[in-house]
Amino acid sequence: MGVIVLIETYDQAAKVILERLEKDFLRQSRTIYQMLIVRDRFDEAYNFFLEVKPKNHREKSIPLHTLENYDLGYLESVVHSLRKQTQITMQFKGFGELVWPQAQTRISKG
Amino acid sequence: MNYDREPHGVYFMIDNKSFYASVESVAREDDPLESVIVVMSEAKNTNGGLILAASPKAKELFGITNVSRCRDLPDDSRLKVVPPRMNLYIKKNLQINEIFTQFVADEDCYPYSIDESILDMTKSWRLFGRTPLEVAHRMQTAVHDKLGLWTTVGIGENPVQAKLALDLFAKHDNDRIGELTYETFPQKIWPITNLVSVWSIGHRTAAHLERVGIHSMDALAHSNPYELKKEFGIIGTQLLALAWGIDHSQLSKLLTPNDKRWGNSQVLARDYLVQREIETVIKEIGSQVASRMRHHQQQTGCVSLMIGFSYASAETDGRSGFAHSMRIDTTDSPDQINQYLVYLFRKTWDGEGIRNIAVSLSHLSANDGLQLDLFKDPHAQIKQNLMIRVLDKIHDQFGNTALIPASSLLHGATMLERSSLVGGHNGGNSFD
Repeated sequence: MGVIVLIETYDQAAKVILERLEKDFLRQSRTIYQMLIVRDRFDEAYNFFLEVKPKNHREKSIPLHTLENYDLGYLESVVHSLRKQTQITMQFKGFGELVWPQAQTRISKG
Repeated sequence: MNYDREPHGVYFMIDNKSFYASVESVAREDDPLESVIVVMSEAKNTNGGLILAASPKAKELFGITNVSRCRDLPDDSRLKVVPPRMNLYIKKNLQINEIFTQFVADEDCYPYSIDESILDMTKSWRLFGRTPLEVAHRMQTAVHDKLGLWTTVGIGENPVQAKLALDLFAKHDNDRIGELTYETFPQKIWPITNLVSVWSIGHRTAAHLERVGIHSMDALAHSNPYELKKEFGIIGTQLLALAWGIDHSQLSKLLTPNDKRWGNSQVLARDYLVQREIETVIKEIGSQVASRMRHHQQQTGCVSLMIGFSYASAETDGRSGFAHSMRIDTTDSPDQINQYLVYLFRKTWDGEGIRNIAVSLSHLSANDGLQLDLFKDPHAQIKQNLMIRVLDKIHDQFGNTALIPASSLLHGATMLERSSLVGGHNGGNSFD
């Protein structure tokens, strides 16, 4: 099977994520909104979700995007780009003790 | 019973534990056995939401079953609801089958549904362990290591035993493995009194069996074959074989149905009452089915239309809908097919509210060129035909929404909205 390489710059990725985020990031009261970023070791990809947790109600988790580029430096650029444009809390999962290549801080600390 | 002359093989029937929910758990780095997750389709025609899958923990805590409705779902903060991503599940299913084919030859791996496969391990199981049980363990581990998903395995000496072992034992086993052989069959299967739990016995058959005094698999196995056949017809003999764990099917000999057909159906998001709106949707479905048929280089000689009434109309009318077919001159032109469909619709429709539409094309034949009609302008016919090919090419290359009839923008049309659905549910983000 041929490998399809989708070239997506980190700015394009960030744009897609933000667009999808805005659709469901309704900023309702008594509701926690978080962006969940998962290191998917099975697919070697990074998955982005919007987690919507209204107090005492069931939670919703909406897929935003998947980065097929498994390079941590690339992810760092995407996250950096996102942080310039949104204040939403980011939660990192599956990164263990890994460290951001640029900032040299622990990823799981956010 | 002498089983010596029955086929003795090693068959695995494998399914994925709560497949969609497990895939979604893994994508979020959650343990699929511990997470409380529900996959809910919120397509417009599902009336607020249809539950496609629930994780084992969600089933246990809230008693959720598949295909329950959103209104049955408790509003509990422990529960996580996620939209379906059918394309992702198809991708995972392919990955799983790829792992299976490390254990069997490609031609011995038969995908049965989106989360089930039958493997004929007869020739290869010895390469991977001392017992079939050990091989099953090894396969489960391989899938879990590579994809994070848990599989359930039924082992049998033929396909039906494997399927029963999966449904009745593996799903309740701590190791998620169940085994059946000709030898253990009576001891394990015959005590079953809940006949519907046995694969291939539905509610109606179960009720029928109860009526004639058969209340267990034991009784079924020991009933008179001639009476069974008299009461149930050919199904009676199949039931008897089932009760003894006998299955002569040879998976390598694929069945080809005599009259294949192409079809599609949809449930509408609301009751449709306006003729123009209904006809728009009929034509959209007709064009879509015709396009699928053309991709297989075929043409049709018979169109069928099924219309299901809304609850209200069905109540006052007494009928739940109508279905009509008509033989036509063979064609693959969407315009002609749609003309016939609209004709069938107008002939019978009498203003009822409509909730279901299904279209199918049958009496298929190979499309080996355009048959010109003597009574029509040949140039117009050729031009029409060329136009269809060009449209198909554009759709293949740029997607089905690249070029659409203006009618699909009218109120009531559903094609644009459904173009991103897979199997009627959300396919997932377009370029994930």
